[in-house]
Amino acid sequence: MATLSLQHIDKIYDNNVQAVYDFNLDVKDGELIVLVGPSGCGKSTTLRMVAGLEDISNGKLLLDGRDITQTPAKDRDMAMVFQSYALYGHMTIYENMAFSLTLRKENPNVIHKKVLAAAEVLGLTSQLNKKPAQLSGGQRQRVAMGRSIVRNPKVFLFDEPLSNLDAKLRGATRREILLLHKRLQATMLYVTHDQTEALTLADRIVCMSMGHVQQVGTPLELYDSPNNIFVASFIGLPPMNFFDVKVGEGKLEGKGFSVKLDAEEQKRLAAYKGKEITLGVRPEDIVEGPDIPALVTTNENLGMNTLVHGNITAPDAPAQKIVAKLKGWANYKNGDTVKFSFQRKHFFDKETTNAIRGEG
Amino acid sequence: MNQDERSISRDRMRYIKNSASSRLCYLAILFNVFYFVSICKSDVGVYYYNILIGGVILYNLFFMLAVFLASEGVKNYKRDYSFLLLALGVGQILRFFVIPMHAHSETTVVNGAETLVMRDGQFIRVAIYLAVSAVCLIAAALINLYKCRELSEHQKSLAAQTA
Repeated sequence: MATLSLQHIDKIYDNNVQAVYDFNLDVKDGELIVLVGPSGCGKSTTLRMVAGLEDISNGKLLLDGRDITQTPAKDRDMAMVFQSYALYGHMTIYENMAFSLTLRKENPNVIHKKVLAAAEVLGLTSQLNKKPAQLSGGQRQRVAMGRSIVRNPKVFLFDEPLSNLDAKLRGATRREILLLHKRLQATMLYVTHDQTEALTLADRIVCMSMGHVQQVGTPLELYDSPNNIFVASFIGLPPMNFFDVKVGEGKLEGKGFSVKLDAEEQKRLAAYKGKEITLGVRPEDIVEGPDIPALVTTNENLGMNTLVHGNITAPDAPAQKIVAKLKGWANYKNGDTVKFSFQRKHFFDKETTNAIRGEG
Repeated sequence: MNQDERSISRDRMRYIKNSASSRLCYLAILFNVFYFVSICKSDVGVYYYNILIGGVILYNLFFMLAVFLASEGVKNYKRDYSFLLLALGVGQILRFFVIPMHAHSETTVVNGAETLVMRDGQFIRVAIYLAVSAVCLIAAALINLYKCRELSEHQKSLAAQTA
């Protein structure tokens, strides 16, 4: 397999619209990197630049240390799996999987061995004589992956491969991709806008917004220590709650509530005393407690948890929305008053939106 | 080809269609069309305007449909279609004795002049068309019979392994 290095990569289109700004990433051998972000953030453009389907405006792309910035797509030894499967409807699954090797005029017996091996890995052996139309969406996506596997490429590229599948199938196929990655130990770049896919699949996540990389790190790093408000709000479901608060003496003063700070938190916020910051709290870090009164608007029971949506009200201030993910089954009604406490807090600079990690 | 490669080639037949036989069938249809067009465009007055040409037209339609049907059959390793192709192949050889042999030795009156119905050049051409068509059909049939036997043996060995 291979290492991949993206160095100071920009994408500027002919109409001077810049889609990607100074993208830097070193992908280790066998690593699964997930590029995640909202629509239009530049993640697919980055992937297409790696694949060679888009020109790289500035910067360098290295595969195993070799500069492939100007190398045509067909010579890059990468395989791409698309959202739309891109299978040939008139060919059988076997023929679809063998197609790229047939074009390369490989020995038919070698092709046969490779196709059967890939079909075995993907559980498609019994489907090889069928046409794509006879398969489910998940199976078709597996065929698309099989077509990549038979080529034995250095890098696998996935462009939102699960977006066309329903929720149940998406979960199953996601697990299959994970197993496939473990089995092949292949270097993979995976693009998605679904943060669940990113968190479950990735060795490392690249979170992007507006063409800029916001944070690169393990799923836990992005979840636990988001770099800024964008990452904090994008990773996690339901998204993090944000409140404008003022740093007081040993406490944070919000509109309609105040929260005590422990010694470590006070130390982190020492430079912000008397200033306004943004407080972030994940819904799962909110418990029922004495600190923050809120008026319940909706109560969603999910079985294991209950999502309680409410408003924190204060005189002379608009209501602030809060979502809590409480353990167990709760039965709050619209208009009930509930009191919450925050267990774990994230602090962000109000001006830069960057996380406040320490003094200064 | 060693034993392993032969085994893989046989196994491929489970997923790859018998395109060789199928393509030979299409070729046979094509040469049959050449033959028929060559006869029909002959400028020999009313020589061919008899009940025989009606039969020939009907047989051509039957031939093309039957060969096309058989081409789909052999494509999927259906053994019985080989016998249909063999019969049609022999039929192509026999057709040589229906029109070409007679027309080559007969004369007819065109614009008041006695003319050979089929000159040597046309005679050789139609003979080649029919011969190629027949060879294609017989080859398609034999290839299919061979492949069907190979596939059948392979499937039996796979079944034995599974059991």
